[in-house]
Amino acid sequence: MDEVQQAIKQQVEAHPVILFMKGTPQFPQCGFSMKASQALAGCEVEFAYVNVLEDERIRQGVKDYGNWPTIPQLYVNGELVGGSDIILQMYESGELETLVKDAVGKQQA
Amino acid sequence: MMDSERIKQLIEAGLPDCSAEVGGDGRHFQAVIVSPAFEGKPLLQRHRLVYGLLEEHIHSDELHALSMQTLTPEQWRAGQG
Repeated sequence: MDEVQQAIKQQVEAHPVILFMKGTPQFPQCGFSMKASQALAGCEVEFAYVNVLEDERIRQGVKDYGNWPTIPQLYVNGELVGGSDIILQMYESGELETLVKDAVGKQQA
Repeated sequence: MMDSERIKQLIEAGLPDCSAEVGGDGRHFQAVIVSPAFEGKPLLQRHRLVYGLLEEHIHSDELHALSMQTLTPEQWRAGQG
């Protein structure tokens, strides 16, 4: 595993909920990243994020890491949950809130 | 350059008994995809199946974003009711 893949692995393992996105939750640079971060914010848990536009190696590396071709990508407990469609569908059904609250709760317990 | 019709063909050719409706602006597309291949699979795996069919076009960035609804025939019928 190369340096970039190691760095991504460390990030997803260090944070129970982490979103790889274009821009930041305050200043998203892509509509899909905006919707994904808004859905997470709507779950009222703290989440980590990585702005992939700050590092081209991460932008490409995260696609390879999870074998998922698009950004945003949400990881919970080190596992890929999905991209913006999946995040939004799970948000609407309430599954997302349950998932991320469990993940954050476990870490604090 | 990708167009909706080409994406529709690629998806329908790759999944059994599939019907796909695709629309978009040349870079960003939306698709509603119905196939029994999705039965018993979580969303992550359903999307992976579709991404797999379009892999080279996504890698080349011809296809920048595809927003998908992936439904089994049963889910699709329920949504029509």
